[in-house]
Parts: sequence; structure tokens; C-alpha cells
Amino acid sequence: MKISLNWLKDYVALDASVEEISRAITFLGFEVEGVAQTGAPKLDHVVVGEILTRAKHPNADKLSVCTVDVGPAGGVKTIVCGAHNCDAGHRVLVALPGAVLPGNFQIKQSKIRGQASDGMMCSPDEIGLGSDHSGLLILSGQPALGAAMNAVLPPGDTVFDIEITPNRPDCQSHLGIARELAAWFKLPLVYPQEKFRGDVTDAITRTDLLSAVRVDSSEDCPLYTAHLITGIKIGPSPAWMQTRLQAVGLRPINNVVDVGNYVMLETGQPLHAFDARKLGGNQIIVRHAADGEKITTLDDKERTLTSRMLVIADAQKPVVIAGIMGGQNSGVSADTTDLVLECAIFKRQSTRWTSRRLGLSSDSSYRYERGVDPHSALEAAYRAVDLIIETAGGQVVGPVYKVGGDVPWQREVVVTHGFICEKLGFEIPEAEMETAFESLELNVTHKEPTDLRGTAWTVSIPSWRDDLDRPIDLVEEVLRLFGTEKIPAAVVTAPGLVGDDDPVVLFNRRVTDYLVGHDFHECVNYTLRPAQELATWVSATAAQELALANPFVDDQSHLRPTLIMGLLDSLKLNQSRGVAASLLCETGRVFIEHNGQNLECAAVAFIITESGADRPWLKRAPADFYSVKHHVTALATAAGVDLARHSLAPIIGPFFGWQEGHSAAAGEMAHGWTARFGLLNLAMVKQLGVAGQVYAGIFAILPEQLNATSARRRYADFSLFPAALRDLALVVDEPTPATDVQRALVKIARVAVGPAFALESIKVFDVYRGKGLPEGKKSLAFGLVFRAAERTLTDEEVNVVFQKVQDEIVKTSGWQVRK
Amino acid sequence: MQDQLSALLAKAAPELAALITRPEFEAAKARYVGPNGELTALMKQMGAVPKDQRPAMGKLINETKTRLQSLLDAALAAIETAELQAQLGPAVDATLPSPDAGPGTYHPLTLVREEMCRILRKVGFTVADGPEVETEYYCFDALNTPADHPARDEKDTFYFPAASRFANVSKKTSEEKYLLRTHTSSVQIRTMLNGAPPIRIVSPGRVYRRDTSDATHSANFHQLECLYVDKNVTVRDLKALLDYIFASLLGQDTKTRFRPHYFGYTEPSFEVDLSAKHLPKVKKEWIEIGGCGMVDPTVFEGVGYDPEVWSGYAFGMGLERLAMLLYGIDDIRYFYQNDLRFLKQFA
Repeated sequence: MKISLNWLKDYVALDASVEEISRAITFLGFEVEGVAQTGAPKLDHVVVGEILTRAKHPNADKLSVCTVDVGPAGGVKTIVCGAHNCDAGHRVLVALPGAVLPGNFQIKQSKIRGQASDGMMCSPDEIGLGSDHSGLLILSGQPALGAAMNAVLPPGDTVFDIEITPNRPDCQSHLGIARELAAWFKLPLVYPQEKFRGDVTDAITRTDLLSAVRVDSSEDCPLYTAHLITGIKIGPSPAWMQTRLQAVGLRPINNVVDVGNYVMLETGQPLHAFDARKLGGNQIIVRHAADGEKITTLDDKERTLTSRMLVIADAQKPVVIAGIMGGQNSGVSADTTDLVLECAIFKRQSTRWTSRRLGLSSDSSYRYERGVDPHSALEAAYRAVDLIIETAGGQVVGPVYKVGGDVPWQREVVVTHGFICEKLGFEIPEAEMETAFESLELNVTHKEPTDLRGTAWTVSIPSWRDDLDRPIDLVEEVLRLFGTEKIPAAVVTAPGLVGDDDPVVLFNRRVTDYLVGHDFHECVNYTLRPAQELATWVSATAAQELALANPFVDDQSHLRPTLIMGLLDSLKLNQSRGVAASLLCETGRVFIEHNGQNLECAAVAFIITESGADRPWLKRAPADFYSVKHHVTALATAAGVDLARHSLAPIIGPFFGWQEGHSAAAGEMAHGWTARFGLLNLAMVKQLGVAGQVYAGIFAILPEQLNATSARRRYADFSLFPAALRDLALVVDEPTPATDVQRALVKIARVAVGPAFALESIKVFDVYRGKGLPEGKKSLAFGLVFRAAERTLTDEEVNVVFQKVQDEIVKTSGWQVRK
Repeated sequence: MQDQLSALLAKAAPELAALITRPEFEAAKARYVGPNGELTALMKQMGAVPKDQRPAMGKLINETKTRLQSLLDAALAAIETAELQAQLGPAVDATLPSPDAGPGTYHPLTLVREEMCRILRKVGFTVADGPEVETEYYCFDALNTPADHPARDEKDTFYFPAASRFANVSKKTSEEKYLLRTHTSSVQIRTMLNGAPPIRIVSPGRVYRRDTSDATHSANFHQLECLYVDKNVTVRDLKALLDYIFASLLGQDTKTRFRPHYFGYTEPSFEVDLSAKHLPKVKKEWIEIGGCGMVDPTVFEGVGYDPEVWSGYAFGMGLERLAMLLYGIDDIRYFYQNDLRFLKQFA
């Protein structure tokens, strides 16, 4: 909101500098978003001079050499000038040596193209008056030679652009801000003194102009007042009023409209004036619109209304959208002579709803939405009556209509000195607190001492401070006026609280440490993804569950079910910019549909690709499926999941994020986690415009699953005697998973060993296909490690067991031992 | 015999020194000290030595034997050294770069978040976490945000359709809608409801605003909030925390100041400014860094804490904004593009 300094000075005698006032506004709790200067700034050594002669510069076509009389400021000067209009006889502003013009432009005696010059004649922009640089500023009215610029030009103004917090609707006006500044600078506040005080007992009564005011919804319109003014003459408003309105960005219209705006900017109370003769049936009815009812507002647009919207209507039609904007059918026009002046209170919620719904807002609706003090409304009406009579003539006639507004305001808050100091954590003297209250018109109506907490004040809250109703609210008022900059320093006291970081935080930290430790670059991508992308990863039902009701842009309409697409985006961006990228990772939330409901999961994902990598001078073995399996296993471990204990399933359509036959999944959301890894679908990656093959892995887990604490592991004893090793290769069908063979071997070997000693481990160490084996078969070679706890095994006993294992596996599985 | 022993040593020394392979060594060793070796043969002659000369001769033989053994040891050591040497290729060019990718890098948002968490951990804050999908109660109602507050408008906040269900995000009432949290303050509410005072948490996390993306706005961004609930917590304590945080982060000459402000969930409320002249790309003397205040009694009542007994403060700030200040980054979108030339600058 724009606030004029000149205007503020009507109510409070501010003599502080603009910087000090800005600072005051800031520490009173309002952000100063800008400070603009209107009119000329204060400049020294810039005086009135008259051009006596003009001659061409001998050495420059576009310059003139003038003699200029600056009278008592130094007599006749010779000045070189480039302006087209430096004609003899003009009175202009002359910047003499020593002047410092805006932009820190210092005027000195100088030589221009060999010609001495004793100063500069000024164009408007050179003295900070707008941006006009087309020629010299020619002064009218023959001002005295040598007079200072600021004595000749109309005084300027300073306009603050202030952001008003939503809790302070009382400050949406010059009076409101003046009240705050008066409190800050400890200056008296002078309210406008209205001549009209609502008394129309001796006035003529003109029920022929307005015979009734009816409010159908006192809920949405708790107060409606109407004053009649007859015999006015529409014309321009006075210059002083226009200057002020223009300073804060309003366009003057006519005296009546301008008064309405002026009083609104002064008091915060919106007003509206009707041409009394245009009110059909001479009635005002405040009612809800009928569904589909139409009105053409002052901005020339036809608006269709609904039954939730409040309007001001005459006997036939709506004439104003209440509190928002007037209609063209009832406004003041050049021939208006009789006015109805509306001053009303409309409910905030109702105004906001209608304003949003219609996409229509105004200075008036802005104020109603935030709240207008019903108990100050009449003062504003009286003020407007005064100003209308002053600027447009006419007289108030009866009757005065006032509907509602019957609930008197009274609020008192009791607060003690001790309470305020306890909340602040430092002492402010009682006297200073009392001064703060009083200067904000929070009048202390009663005070009495308490046993432990100093004086207890009963503070009367003014009607415009609806935001204050608890002792804690007064703490803030005291602190504001004390100055938040003066809060004394202290050291942090940290009494011990036992606790650990959230398990999700610990998990994210652990997996990020792991991946970054393995040379991955951590990325951060957006959570919201486009609809069509989800089809790659989840079913149509799941995609629907993940959709936002009100996306802002089309390509950010759904929650992400995976982190991999974001990583591919990052990969693609780097590739397209010619930046080598091969190892990328991310942690963050993903959203997984499960049984028709969504689950918010903590997730970690990574991608590995060779493409786009620098050409290394030494080649390394490329990453493959087992590289990503290794990483996913480690990430699962960080979540307390031992992947080796869970079965892996191939990922098979219908969604084509993963390459069939080169990817695998473990876990499921029914158990609280899922892992997927392998090669990304080649066609999908190609379609995305990403070069090369991309391996990826993702592990997602319910946050609550991470909370589960696992039982502490117990130490198991191990043998210090040597192991006995045997190798066994089995020829199996190509699709047979190695785990199946291994599991069968373990089972058989355990039985064969019996209680005598132990099978320590079985590990696959070779997979062979090709020469020497039939088509469709492969050979899996396992190393078996046997060991006894208390002794060295003999070859004989191991051989016996090993033979049993071979016999048994062939017998039970049909697999052949490869010799 | 004495001469024979001397001759043997004289012959053995150059011969053994010239050995290159292990088989040559074994053969030479056998030639001298094997069962049929030359020294063995000489030792066998000891029987023919007159008795009175035997002690002297025995000593001489032993000396010769020791000497020979040391020659053998030296020869073997030389062979072993040569063998190890043979395992090596030519000397490396240490100036060639490693062909391996890396090192990995943490995202700047992670670096800033973790640094803040470390700073706060030192004064007893633990890191809390909560869902990004929230409900109207936890995101707004519990934080004293009235039903018609503009922040709740569909224009500014992402909502889910009424039928959407999130099985592991609890609702307070069945009617309330799911939404994407607009601030991490919802974590404070969940923490207060699930625990009991005193509480001291920091909740970093991702938040969402329905806003145009540009150099300073992003559809999702990150916040970090602190909440402290205890007995007798004061405005001065809050200021002390902010002073501590930014002095830890930026050095002891850093200053903070409070400006009164308004937030629905704190009273009094402040905006926090930072004086950070030494930061890159900062022109103004004071820059706004976050908001804070004393927890409003209404919020305490909502979570069942008696405001007569408990008091507290809350502080919140944007992590992107902090990272931009710390590193001198001027476009928020860089955080979400993951250009490696960007990511590699902060490790």
C-alpha cells in the first residue's frame, strides 16, 4: 500500500528523515518495499536564471553559448548549453558550480570544446523531475532571479510502499500508519475534526429520494448507513486532493469519487456514492443476488452473479457488488446533483469469496477482505460528508439511514508486568510499558499491584485493534515499541533432551554417504511429474490415484512413483550440454499405489551409464546387472533389509520401465519395502533421447518400517582349524536360477555332513555355456567349504561326504555332475 | 685343507653373486652344501685331520660354513628382489588422471541441510521427519490458519481429489482433504501430538507451493524449521538461538536482527534479517533469511499442551534461499537441473 509522507503529516508532526521514518515503519512490523520521491528533490546551488543572449558555439554545431543572469546568486554567467530551447528571455534553472545533481553529478567550472562554462542549465530529468530530457525546464510566472530551485518548484512528496500484514487491517490507511508512527516517535496524533456529526434534526427530509434501506442479510452486512446530500455540483476535485491521490497512484475522477477514495485512504473505510435519482423505487436493499442475475460493473464488464454473492440493489436491480465494485447504472455522473453516500461493513469472508469467484478486486474489496472496523465507520461517513460539501457544495438532508451496528465495542485485557518480562526474557521498566500502551491508544483503565508479578494493568483495546485479545498479544505491542533490535544478546541454553534423528533421516544420510562414497553425484529433482510418464511405470489406476486435483502446469500433475525418471532427466540434460555424466543418485519421497491406496515411501535410487562419459585413457570393465545388484543390496542393508534372504523375481511387463530378462525385483509393499534394479528398457531410454544403456536401481521403504528396531545380533564362534575345499560343477537347464541349485546343494550337503563337522559355505564361482555342453544347458560350478570346530578334517571323511552330496543331488534333481 | 676352504670361498663368492634364477640357485646350493657338495666333502675329511689340529680346523670349517651361508642368503635375497621386480610393469606416470569416475558429490542442498542440522544438533535439536502429503488439519487448522485463509486457497496449495487415500498418512478427521504440505510446520504438529514436552526438533524437508517457477520460485522447495517447547522459553532465548545459528554458519561477526511480523502460529512473530557483508552477491546490508516467533497459545491448546505451563519458539527458513546466499547462486532452478558442472562445485 502506498503512503504519502505529506499526507501523514496532516495527523502527526513528523520531522524525522525519510530514512528514520522507513526504519520506524520497518521495526513497527511493516515491510517497506519501496520509497519513491515525487516532485523535485532538495538540491543546493540550483537557482533561477534568465537567458540573456544565445550564440552558436564556435567549435560545435549542436552547442550554444549563452549568457545567463542569476541575479543575487552570482550575476551574469556564461554557460555552454546543448538544449534546443535555450532561447533568450526564458527563465530556467541553473546548476551553479558546487551543485550536486541526482546521480552524484557534480557541477564544476569547466571548458567545453574550448569554451569556458560556469554551470549548467537543467532539463527536468537532470534535477530529478521525471525522465523528460527533451529540453530545458522553462519556468513560468517570472520567478525571482537567483531564487533557490526548491522555493520555486512545487514541493515534492515521499511515497512509501508498505506491505501491511494481514493482522493489521487498521493500518490500511494513512491514519493507521500515522497512529503507529506517532507512537514510535512519541508525538501526538491529530485526528480530522468533522464538522458534520450526524445531526440532521433541523434538515429537510427527502424521503422522495430515498424512502427505505433494508438489509436482508445482516450476517454478511452487519452495518449499513446511508446519508443524503442534495444540491451538489460535480466537477474536478481541488488540486491538493488530486496531488495526494496521484502521489499514491490513484487517478482523479471527480470531486465526489475523489472524496470517497480520499476518505478511504485516510481512514481505511471504503465508501460508495450513488446518484440518488438512479435508484429505482427510491430504495436500497442489501441482499444476496439471484442466481444468474447480471450487473455491468464500472470496468465495463458484465458480471453474472450467484446467490452467495451480496449486492446492493434498488427496488429492481443490483446496483453494486457489495464492497467490491459499483455498477454503471447507478454511479455518479457529470449531471448528478443528489447523492446517497453509502458507508457500510461487509463480512470479510463473503467479500473474499465473491472477489475470488468473479476475479474482481478493488481497493475497497482489498480492505473489506482484511477487515474494516465497524465502530469507526460513521466517523468516515461524517468526514466524507464534510469533504463533499467542501468540494462539491450541497447540504445534508434527512433521513439518515443506519441499519445494524448495534453491538457496542468493549474489550479489556489484563496483563501483568511480570508476565510480559517472563515472555520476553528480559526486563522493561513498568513506566516504559505503560507509555507504550498509551501511545498506541491502549488505554490503561485500571492498575493494581500483584504479589509476585508487578503491576497488573487493565488495558482497554480500541475497536480497530481486533487483533489484540490476550495478554500475549500485548507482549508483542510492548516489544514493538521497545524495539526488537534491542533484544539483549544471550547464549543458547540447551538442557539435555535425549533423542536421536528420525530413522528416515538416518537412512537418507546412510545411503547418500554410501553412494557418494561410490562416486555417485547426488541429484535433486521435482516430485511432480507429467501424467504420460507414469504409464511407463505404473498401472492406469495407480496413476489416477497419484494425480493432483489442481495441478499448476500440465507437466507437473502427478506424484512421482519412482526417482528414476528424474535421474534420467538429469542425465539427459548433462548429455545435451556435452557434460560427461555416468553415476547419478537421489534420495526422496516416492508414492506407491498399493491395494487402491497410496503409500508415501522413503526411497533411494541411482543410475549408471557409460554413455557420455569422458573417453578415459585406460578402459575399465563396464558396469552390468551385477554392479547394480551389489549397490541395491548395500542400500537395502542400510534399511535393515537383507536382500539375500528374499527371493528375486524377474520384472515382466506390462509397464516398460525395465528391460525384461535384464532386471529383477524383490520385496513388495505388503511387507513395507520394494527393490527394483537392472537395465532400463532400451526402447524407453532411446525414446527419451538418452544415449547409451542405463542401469538403475531403486529401493523404497515405508518410513514406519525404518522405525522397527531389529534384535541385537549374537556372536557365533568360529573354527581355527583348516578348511577342506571341494569343487562341484552341475549341468542344468539354461533358465534354472543359480539360487535354486545352491539351495538344493546346501540342503543335501547339510544332511550329508551330519553332526560330525560343518558345511561352512557354498558359493558359485563359475558359469559356463558352450563347447562341451548341449544346447540349452549351462554349467554352474560351486565351491564347497567344509570345516570342523575342534580338529583338522581328514581327506577321507570329506571325500565320503562329497561323494554323498554328488550322488544325492543327481538322484534328486536330475542335474548332471560335470566331470 | 685350510687352502681348500679358502679356495672354495673364493670360487663361491662370484659364482653365487651371479645367480639369476631360483633353479640355478638350488643347483649351486646343492653343489656347495648339499649331501654331495664341496663343503660337505671337505667336512668329511675332518676325520683325517690330526687330533691336535681338530679344534682349529673345526672352527675354520664353521667359519667357512657361516660365510658360505651368508653368500647363499644374499644370492637368494637378490633373486627374490629380482622376481618381485619382474612383477612390475614400467614405472607409473603419476600425473596421468585416474580413469575412474569421481569423486562423488553431495548436492548443495544436502550440504547446507546437514550443516544446519549439525549446528542445531550441538544445542540439542534432533532431526524430525514427516510426510510430504499432509492433511488440512496438520498443515493449516492445527497451525491456527482459519478455513478461509488465502494460503489454503486452491490457487496457492496443491490438493488431492476427495477420493484420494494415503494409507500411511493419518487424518485427524475423515472429511479433510489431502494436500501437499506448504511448510514443514506440519511436522511440528505431528511431533507434538506424538510426544510430550519438552521437545527440541529441527525438521528439514520438501514443501510445495502452487506458484510460477522462475529464478527465485520453484514448485517445490525445501524448508528447515526448529521447534523448542519447554518451560519458561523466552523471546531472548529465540534471539540467542538465531545468533548462535548464524554465527556458527557464517562466523562470529555475523549479526541477526528481528523485525516484528505476523504469522498465525506464533505470537509475537518476527522476520529475521542477517547482516552478511562478506557473502557473495549480497548488496543490501540486511537480508531477510526466515521467520520465527513464540508458539501461539492456540497452537499449544490444539495439541493438548497447557499454554500456562509450556512455552516455546519456532523458526523457519528456506534452504534454497540459504544455499543461494552461502554460495552466491542466483537462480533457484539450478538446484533442480543437476548439471554436473554445478554439482561438482560444492563438494
